[in-house]
Amino acid sequence: MNLLTEIITFPFLQRALVAGFLLGLLLASLGVIATLRKMAFFGEGVAHASLAGIAIAIFAGIAPVPFAVLWAVIIAVLIYWLERKTKLPSDTVIGILFTASMALGVIIMSFTQGYQPELLSFLFGSILTIQNIDLVVISVSSIMILSWLGASLSSLTFLSLSEEAAQVAGINTKLQTLLFYIALAVATVLGVKILGIVLVSALIVLPPATSKMLTTSFKNYFIVSIVISEITILLGLLFSFVYDLPSGAVIVLVGSFIFVLSAIMNSFSKQN
Amino acid sequence: MPAKSKKINEVAISVEHLSVKYENEPVFTDITFDIPAGNIAAILGPNGSGKTTMIKTILDLVKKDSGNILIFGKHLHENRHRVAYVPQNFEFDKQFPMTVLEFMNLTKHKGADENIVQGKIAEVGLDSEVLSKRLGTLSGGQMQRVLIAQAILNDPDLLILDEPSTGIDVVGEAAFVQILKHLKEKHNTTILLVSHDVSLVLTIVDTVICLNKKLLCVGSPKSTLTAKKLADLYGNDSHIHEHHKGHNHKIDL
Repeated sequence: MNLLTEIITFPFLQRALVAGFLLGLLLASLGVIATLRKMAFFGEGVAHASLAGIAIAIFAGIAPVPFAVLWAVIIAVLIYWLERKTKLPSDTVIGILFTASMALGVIIMSFTQGYQPELLSFLFGSILTIQNIDLVVISVSSIMILSWLGASLSSLTFLSLSEEAAQVAGINTKLQTLLFYIALAVATVLGVKILGIVLVSALIVLPPATSKMLTTSFKNYFIVSIVISEITILLGLLFSFVYDLPSGAVIVLVGSFIFVLSAIMNSFSKQN
Repeated sequence: MPAKSKKINEVAISVEHLSVKYENEPVFTDITFDIPAGNIAAILGPNGSGKTTMIKTILDLVKKDSGNILIFGKHLHENRHRVAYVPQNFEFDKQFPMTVLEFMNLTKHKGADENIVQGKIAEVGLDSEVLSKRLGTLSGGQMQRVLIAQAILNDPDLLILDEPSTGIDVVGEAAFVQILKHLKEKHNTTILLVSHDVSLVLTIVDTVICLNKKLLCVGSPKSTLTAKKLADLYGNDSHIHEHHKGHNHKIDL
């Protein structure tokens, strides 16, 4: 009861919970398609690449999250373009881009004088730093991405199973793929404030991976992924608040615990 | 569903002077042939002869170097709704949680009859119970039939299949032949397939296209596929056995 009172009392915790709820929905929904397309490394790469965008924004004295979102869109378009132009494997292109972008971020950070607590919060996540502007960006982006995903889910899923069959079926596979890259990049960067650059991609992978072991239909896979994602974020944020721990690390540990528990349950149910 | 009305002498696929290159190396050069509507046609040829590239070029999945392709007298983009395709490699994670029904629904047109999926599953000879099964649990033959059922969901006039008999057993192959015959006779669907299996081709096809970098023959299998022609197509290393008045050939490559 005491905890509930504190949640009502502290606006920063309210903002973190609303942002966490939206991000749980967004990252799990996109994570379902990302795991189907074997794109787990994409989130990792974009999150690390966002360091340059965040560093530029802090150096220039502008709001980091909107600028990092813009930076993520540029990175997503570059990954899409380079994959097609160079014919290099996706993970190679992402590996090159994220290290180059991160290197740029480190150089820019070196120009910024003094201790940078905001920059550190981006690296490991913090529930204290969610501002109203961040909440607006997260809300607007989530509505836009989830609306598009709702309208495109069937064609996006079909093209993830067979791009050629989807193209013959009349699906604009190039546009849908590019939009998915942008959506996943934006969602990843939005999650950076709570989860941190280092850990945000876990929320793209963990809930769908856990759900996959527990479900046999796509509908249930999707729903259970979102439920696990929301439970993971809610418990992670509360533990982070109560025990004063970095939110990103706690959320990822909660998600990993649920994953291991599900794997053990799955193993026993198969034996029986 | 009754068979669609057939225009006399309508051509389903018209390929004229088609050439395709891959990294400046010609895959095939100056290919011309027609496939009449309502025919079952097969492209035959050894590995690397350009069979799959040919159907991918017809489907605009591979860019042509020169030449012209018409589908029912129009360019593909004007007639895309009349065409369906079953690719050779429909590879997906076998553990992926998706039922056959959900897979079928991915390409079902909005507003389509709710019973259409059950109808198509029945047409390919599967029980409706298969709809609740997870895709990854299907056998090779069942998966092939599900892929065909999905491809014909929106009643295409032209169905293109790449190596459809790969990975299915003798029973599955017999069922596959029956499905193609059914589609031709009941729906007047034009079918173009790529196959290594000459015996399979001879049992059902009306038109055969022999391809090995260039067009070696085109016509009915009975008049076209002589042992000599097959030796030309597959090379002297192949062993061709003729049976049953020369209409049944087995090739060991």
